[in-house]
Amino acid sequence: MVRKFVAGAALAASLVLPAGHALAQQPELKIFNWSDYVDPAVLEEFTKETGVKVVYDTFDQMETVDTKLSAGKTGYDLIVVTASFLPRHIPLKLYAEVDRSKVPNLQHMWPEITSRLAKYDPGNRFAVNYMWGTTGIGYNVAKVKQRLGDAPVDSWSIVFDPAKLSKLADCGVHVLDATEEMFPAALRYLGLDPDSKKEADLTKASQLLQKIRPHIRKFHSSEYINALANGDICLAVGYSGDILQARKRAKEANAGVDIAYAIPKEGALMWFDSLVIPADAGNKDAALKFIDFVNRPEIAAKNSNFIQYASGNLAAQKHLDAAVLNDPGIYPKPDVIARLYTITPYDDRTQRTVNRMWTRVKTGR
Amino acid sequence: MTTPPDPDPGRSLRLGRRIVLAVPFLWLLALFLTPFLIVARMSLSDTARALPPYAPHWEGFGRLGEFLAALDLENYALLASDTLYLAAYLSSVRLAAISTILALVVAFPLAYAMARAPRRWQPALLVAVILPFWTSFLIRIYAWIGILRPEGFLDVVVQALGLADAPLGLLNTDAAVVLGMVYSYLPFMVLPIYAALERIDRSLLEAAADLGSPPWKSFWTVTVPLAAPGIVAGCLLVFIPAIGEFVIPDLLGGPDTLMIGKVLWTEFFSNRDWPLSSAVAIVLLAVLLLPLLVFQRALRRGEGAR
Amino acid sequence: MNQRTARKAARRSVGSVRRISAPWAEPDAKALVEFRSVTKSYGDVTAVDGLSLSIYPGEFFALLGPSGCGKTTLMRMLAGFEEPTGGTILLDGVEITGTPPHRRPTNMMFQSYALFPHMSVWDNIAFGLKQEGMARAAIASRVEEMLALVRLEGLARRRPDQLSGGQRQRVALARSLAKRPKVLLLDEPLGALDRKLREATQFELMDLQADLGLTFLMVTHDQDEAMIMADRIAVMDHGRIVQVAPAEEVYEQPANRYVAEFVGDVTIAEGVVTSVRGHLVHIHAPHFGAIEIDEEEGRANVGAPALVALRPEKIQIGHDEPAQPLNKVRGEIWDIAYLGDFTMMQVKVGGDDGPLVKAAIANRTRRMERPFAWDDMVWLWWDVEAGVLIDP
Repeated sequence: MVRKFVAGAALAASLVLPAGHALAQQPELKIFNWSDYVDPAVLEEFTKETGVKVVYDTFDQMETVDTKLSAGKTGYDLIVVTASFLPRHIPLKLYAEVDRSKVPNLQHMWPEITSRLAKYDPGNRFAVNYMWGTTGIGYNVAKVKQRLGDAPVDSWSIVFDPAKLSKLADCGVHVLDATEEMFPAALRYLGLDPDSKKEADLTKASQLLQKIRPHIRKFHSSEYINALANGDICLAVGYSGDILQARKRAKEANAGVDIAYAIPKEGALMWFDSLVIPADAGNKDAALKFIDFVNRPEIAAKNSNFIQYASGNLAAQKHLDAAVLNDPGIYPKPDVIARLYTITPYDDRTQRTVNRMWTRVKTGR
Repeated sequence: MTTPPDPDPGRSLRLGRRIVLAVPFLWLLALFLTPFLIVARMSLSDTARALPPYAPHWEGFGRLGEFLAALDLENYALLASDTLYLAAYLSSVRLAAISTILALVVAFPLAYAMARAPRRWQPALLVAVILPFWTSFLIRIYAWIGILRPEGFLDVVVQALGLADAPLGLLNTDAAVVLGMVYSYLPFMVLPIYAALERIDRSLLEAAADLGSPPWKSFWTVTVPLAAPGIVAGCLLVFIPAIGEFVIPDLLGGPDTLMIGKVLWTEFFSNRDWPLSSAVAIVLLAVLLLPLLVFQRALRRGEGAR
Repeated sequence: MNQRTARKAARRSVGSVRRISAPWAEPDAKALVEFRSVTKSYGDVTAVDGLSLSIYPGEFFALLGPSGCGKTTLMRMLAGFEEPTGGTILLDGVEITGTPPHRRPTNMMFQSYALFPHMSVWDNIAFGLKQEGMARAAIASRVEEMLALVRLEGLARRRPDQLSGGQRQRVALARSLAKRPKVLLLDEPLGALDRKLREATQFELMDLQADLGLTFLMVTHDQDEAMIMADRIAVMDHGRIVQVAPAEEVYEQPANRYVAEFVGDVTIAEGVVTSVRGHLVHIHAPHFGAIEIDEEEGRANVGAPALVALRPEKIQIGHDEPAQPLNKVRGEIWDIAYLGDFTMMQVKVGGDDGPLVKAAIANRTRRMERPFAWDDMVWLWWDVEAGVLIDP
């Protein structure tokens, strides 16, 4: 009986192993990235140049990545992670340090961005910026004008002043379902430190959010892209990239929907999508090669031109299309950049408090 | 009497039967009980900055004492103390119950018509009921967004018929969630009821008529009682997934839509509170066990009916 | 089976004391059920074809025929489950065509019994009474009465699936009798029972009908059942009634070849009438020679073709030629079927292309002195009273 089993196992192994070898023979790079977040030609060029086959998977919400990482194993070699997650992930030793000697193109990085990213990743040891942007206001130009007149949309007051927001309630308002986006914006509007961890401040922000809640149709972190593009809503607090994508789709659909993106004059939160290598990555070399490849100025520019996001690579700017570089929604003017802020993550206790507050805001209870 | 008679000649037979019965039971144990125990244990843990994000972790039998000491009912206490969760459970039960009743109201005539249809049509009708399942669930829910959204298909039709001039604004309301759930789970209601109705001997209805019962009365005294197992099964098949539903309230619901599935999702993914979400799940299971027990009893009572 | 029919028919004809009156023979008798030119068609198929029939109060009436003859359709039209395509149905002088089944004062015992599986025996029996809005106490006493009638007193709380086939049959009977219907319809009432139980139940049903003085209309394909139980039998073929008569008449005076052949075993000799002298008719039939029968006067005309039906039990068989000059034929034993109480012989008469004649011998003793064997040449003979002239 035992012998039979062993023989069977050997047979099974002999059947499985050659296939395994064949797989191991061709180097592979498994990438996990947001959807619509790369120029496919860049991946092809990378494979052509290095001989490394790219297995490319996408996700729609950071929570998916976070859960995979929290469970202890992702199976990927390179992941795009939003910077706000880094401070929690780094102490858990989820990432491998980026060996800068193997990534010479890091010399082209934009110091302004790199130094802000360092707030989440001290010393820039684990994360390399991929794209960055802001959290601002996307709106349907015609519908907002019809309801609020010609006054420019340039302030958080359109969101946080119930008198103004109520006029937009009938045509639809979406806001992000994310505490780390909505609380800092509310704090900033109230003239408080957007990075405040004081419970009193957070309570004030929460009360402000409670006030505008009746005029919000939905708290959701991705649906507003379609909703804006289709003309179903007239205002959304969202990520710059998503709103610009909605603008593009609306234009392509040619249904007379004109979407605009505004960075409020009070300032807005900056976000950074960064490349990280999981600690258990099977092919770290290929991951480093890829980081180097996408930071080659021409390649970085090609990528940004395609997806229309601002690159963390400064040298890429001279290769960018003027339409991308001169779009203040993508590349804000220096004075606007100066007003952008970043935040540090909440500690566990504060996070739970904020979560509770947020749930109450959302449910109105 | 030289050889004592075998006191129980059926014993070996019964043993064999018991082994056969044990196999599915073991499967159940492996596939249901194990994950359940893992979730139950997680619900007694605390969140932690760790991998996975809770503590304590199992470190062998040598440290069993410490492991057990670190488990507590804190998460359940939180569930009990924060009215949000109770509200979410109640709201889920309410929406699931409304959806179940509406699904029953829609499904019964459908199943009835199918069971009474000419036999050669029945396979086609069955396929028609199952057909929507061949499309992705997500796509079908998105289609409802298209129907319900302002100036969407429904508004266009309603306004064209002159029934209303303002958009109905159904999207992102509880009504939309109920609509989505009724639509999505309708086949689960139709199929068991159809199966039960189809089995009813037509001569029973003739007998009832013959004994003086008008058709509407026979429907309640004969058809409905005999279809009861199908009705109960259908209600459970709709109610149980509906109560924990996440996708439909997320896509069709509005900020007012409070459902436990969504709360669970938020606790797990957004708040990364695995232990609390596990506790939510365990309590949800307890909530669901109730209708199951009712069904069990109904089955036992109806056993004689077959 | 055929011999058994014959035997029982004989017994019935001898001891037919049960039925004293014969309302169908009285000119001013009032029918309880009347079918008037009733037709039922399903598309091109005609199930019942312009049929007229009267059933009288207190009768036990059987509709007999093979499956597809329209007997069940006829009964279902009386119950109201089917509406006639043409004609009218009267019950107690009132037209009931168009009345839905639940308003008709008939009750039916279904072939499948159709007991409500979700109700106890008690509730099954009470079902019809509750529809009438009868008082609770009255229902209870009637149900008890019915349970006693069918001897199921101890089983009132059982569900149908906890009963044996015979018990179920009796519940069905009790349920259909509970409302004291003007007519009780029995659809193959004994079809699902085994033989012993069937025989016992046959007599129970007859007694019940006699005791309650009810009118029973039974549908059956089983001639034994019809002959044993029914006062009158309607033999049906292709949606029409071929003959309506008491059992012995159907057997001894079959209206035509179809009836003669459907009810019991028969040998039919085809021939031509050669002479008629009073009530004695002579027929010449090939293979049979000259047949003499005792018939009603005026039934036969010389030179006309004639069919003579001969029942097997009326034919005798022997090794030696009988003394009588007519009504005898010689043949070869083709087949012997031993059936216990009697033995059925098939005898080839008139050479290899001649017909097979069926003859039954009662096994009065345990062994015969000169037993018959296959291929024996034997003589068959019969009485002048044995043969009967039938229509084609």
